[in-house]
Amino acid sequence: MTELILQALYSGVLQGGSYALIALGLALVFGTMKVINLAHGELVLLAAYIAYSVESSLGLNPVFAIPVALVIVCLSALIMYFLVDLIKTDRELNSLILTYGIGVILTNGILLIWSADIKSTSSAWLQEAIVVGPLYSMRSEPVFFLVSVLLMGVLWWWLSRSWYGRAVRAVAGNRDAARLMGINPRRTELVSFLIAGILASFAGVAIFSYGVIQPSLGHVLTIKAFIITVLAGIGSIPGVLVGALLLGVAEALTITLASSALQELVGMLLFLLVLFVLPNGLFGAAGRRG
Amino acid sequence: MKKLCRNIGLAVLTMSISSGSALAEEFLVGEQEPLTGALARVGTGMHEGIAVAVEVFNKTNGKHTIKVLTEDDESSPAKAIAAVEKLASQGVVAFTGGYGSNNIGPASDAANKLGLTYITSGGVDNGLVQRGYKTFFRINNTAGYQKAMVGVLDDMKVKSASVIYSTKEATAHLAEDVQKDLTAKGFKVGMHPFDPGISDFKPIVNKVRLRDKSEVILMVGYENDYVGILRAAKVLKPDVKAMIGVWSLATPKMAADFPDLMPKVYGTALLPYPTNFKTEEGKVFYDAYKKLYKKDPDYLGQFGYVQSMLLFEAIARAADKGTIKNGGIAEEMAKTDRNTLIGRVQFTQGDNLNFVHHMGQHQGEKIEIVWPADAATAPMQFPGVPW
Amino acid sequence: MKIGKLALAAGLLAYIGVPLLLGGNNYVMSLIIAALVIGGIALAWALLGNLGGMVSFGHSAFFGVGAYVSAILTMEAGVPVMAGLLLGGLGAVLASVVMLPVLRLRGPYFALAILAYAHIFKIVATEWSSVTGGSGGLSSIPRLPELFGVDLAGKVGSYLIILTILVVFVLCYRAIRASHYGLALRAMHDSEDATRVIGVNSTLLKAMMLFVSAFMTGVVGAFNVHYISFLEPDYAFNGIWVTLPIIAAIFGGYRTLWGPVAGALTVYLVDQLVFKNLIPSGHQLILGGLLVAMIIFSPRGLLPLLRRPSRRKHAAA
Repeated sequence: MTELILQALYSGVLQGGSYALIALGLALVFGTMKVINLAHGELVLLAAYIAYSVESSLGLNPVFAIPVALVIVCLSALIMYFLVDLIKTDRELNSLILTYGIGVILTNGILLIWSADIKSTSSAWLQEAIVVGPLYSMRSEPVFFLVSVLLMGVLWWWLSRSWYGRAVRAVAGNRDAARLMGINPRRTELVSFLIAGILASFAGVAIFSYGVIQPSLGHVLTIKAFIITVLAGIGSIPGVLVGALLLGVAEALTITLASSALQELVGMLLFLLVLFVLPNGLFGAAGRRG
Repeated sequence: MKKLCRNIGLAVLTMSISSGSALAEEFLVGEQEPLTGALARVGTGMHEGIAVAVEVFNKTNGKHTIKVLTEDDESSPAKAIAAVEKLASQGVVAFTGGYGSNNIGPASDAANKLGLTYITSGGVDNGLVQRGYKTFFRINNTAGYQKAMVGVLDDMKVKSASVIYSTKEATAHLAEDVQKDLTAKGFKVGMHPFDPGISDFKPIVNKVRLRDKSEVILMVGYENDYVGILRAAKVLKPDVKAMIGVWSLATPKMAADFPDLMPKVYGTALLPYPTNFKTEEGKVFYDAYKKLYKKDPDYLGQFGYVQSMLLFEAIARAADKGTIKNGGIAEEMAKTDRNTLIGRVQFTQGDNLNFVHHMGQHQGEKIEIVWPADAATAPMQFPGVPW
Repeated sequence: MKIGKLALAAGLLAYIGVPLLLGGNNYVMSLIIAALVIGGIALAWALLGNLGGMVSFGHSAFFGVGAYVSAILTMEAGVPVMAGLLLGGLGAVLASVVMLPVLRLRGPYFALAILAYAHIFKIVATEWSSVTGGSGGLSSIPRLPELFGVDLAGKVGSYLIILTILVVFVLCYRAIRASHYGLALRAMHDSEDATRVIGVNSTLLKAMMLFVSAFMTGVVGAFNVHYISFLEPDYAFNGIWVTLPIIAAIFGGYRTLWGPVAGALTVYLVDQLVFKNLIPSGHQLILGGLLVAMIIFSPRGLLPLLRRPSRRKHAAA
């Protein structure tokens, strides 16, 4: 029994690391622009499919697909930003619908280009089992967990030390005041979208490496990312990691202790629980009530 | 004089009757299929089989020809109904196709209201054959898969099994039937349902490894589930003697896409790979398929072919008897009794109770049939797992 | 009730013209009925957005609950189908009662919280198999009955029923908007604090709008289930019941009364009759593109865009 739970915790934590990578992009854009990019999951999925194409046509380890994914996904993120920027009125709600539409376009585009077949990596190196005591994992899982933590560390450092990073935080805190201080809010928003694209690229390659992808996955990823963003509360990067780990562990424990059919239920209930009981998320600052 | 008149009269009469049945006609058949949406893959596979059936029938029948009109139902019930109605308005005399009981149900309802025959291989829900429709026929059912799974387990002489199954209808139903059958035979059966959405199967496989400690793992799901379960099993290495799945597993596609996960894995398969058809009809089917699609036929194509050939032959018989306009096709279908690529097919209240699937196993680069004995092409490699 | 000449003509066309001209064509009638179902949900969605000020991404929840309640009651308790439609709507209202805590959430949080509820209902429908038939769902659900010699389960009959349902809903929508509730709600939009100060219970009003919206969607869901006669969790709570109504409402102009329904008819029919032939697989892509274009260029929809010149004329006169 303890072995089961330990394994569940371990798997959950590793999975949580990847969830954090997926959620971070959404959280960042939400923090700076108050815009929920409902097409974020599709960006991640796009990166995953690019990894597939690179692997199947060049025979390389999907890790080498990251540069290609970065270019294409960041370009898509830029296009998204410009489209969102075109919204004149009621940006919060209209951007929801706009990004929803972009998500539909991307999902169907992926379906058209890559067909509905399931795809996953065939790299043996990534799939090899790594055993640490009683704990098992595929090599890709701890690898991308470390990548995830590394990226989050870099991002956190960048946000607190670099000029642009601090500008992003300023705009997130108070857009008008930031503008008064000479910060161009639109440029910082653009930057945050780009960073979301970078994060999505890594996340996508990660998913392809340890899981199975299909066009319908985009929507699922967006939902998970949003749940984690809410759990974390606005403006907190460590919060995203904690929230993601929480979700990953909760799911793994539910499958182990109860029935896996309830796995999705746990995510949803957790989401609603946080919304009602902790409206500011675990670490959040700004208010969310009407 | 009277005799002459009578003879001429008789001659004219005979000529008119015989010319009636000597008329070679072209018949329109409707194909309602998911070519887009969630079931696009299986719909396309079936579509190929149907196209091959048209090709083969038109060449071999010598008198009547069939033309198939296709409508995409987008894996949606409302559009399945619309597709059936559109095709009916274009003058089809019967339907072949359909995938997914929740699409087939409404579609065959609509067909039945119009008095048109509907044959499918994509609906295993038993509710479909309990409606008492004279126009509905299907060539496969859950029982056929269950018999294959339990049959191969009998051969293995094991006593415990863990069933990992998706909570979707067809899979859950099959899993429960298998459980009942096995428990009746004295097996120890562990049941592990999973939500279709999950991607990490390690917790479940771990439960099987540490708690159930079964001798075989039975997987009832779809392609992405198999990949997930096999991956998790490769990492955790449970002490089992075989990994057995059902549809979409013992296919050349899975062997090509996931070569590291497939060795010694079992799945239902009608034919071995590389396909070698032993019967005359089989060879004709294989050649036609290869010519049209430049690839080997898979189980979906085989089902699509068999169901359509049975339908076309029934149409031809009804045409010859002149009963097409008054339910002749359904009558002829009900009388079907013929050996096909999937075995002997007869319809009892629309269901083909003879249907028993075969079990295949990935062996090296081939897929061999290992159960039942009279269809086997190679002995099973037991015990054996992909790691 | 003022009924303009245009409305009268449209009503005649809808009730008499369509059955006469198209009644024989089962295929087109099927499309129209399906479009009207989407239109019903779009109407309810727009109502919640306009009067309640809440954008929801989970109306599939009400649709599915309405469908299941009506199906189960007519199958197990022998309730007549027409009553089942109403009870389906009430079931959806009960579902929305469970959602009340969500009302105090703002914009996007509300939208996605409703979506979470939709997912939860779907899981409940799948797990509670003794009542709902589990993932296999229910089949051979009772169809619409025969009334006064008209077979309501037939194409024309079903069309007339859903049309009537929509007309009733639009009239209700209009009535609410014109009433002092509507005035209060519009004032709330401008400033919720100000309205609260003068004693308007904004939360109660918002809750009532949620109930109305849920009821409408539930009835439409119930109608659909008796028309199709099959139901399963994936279909009942499918994302299509969220996506298409939103596209339809935005396209048709979600601030107007008839916009959502008109948008649904246009979008659905054009999608099925034109787009599907252009891009057989993935033609939803065009719909996504349409949504994006609409939000950027004309967030108020296409129909208001067309009506603008005539409005200017009136102002000049």
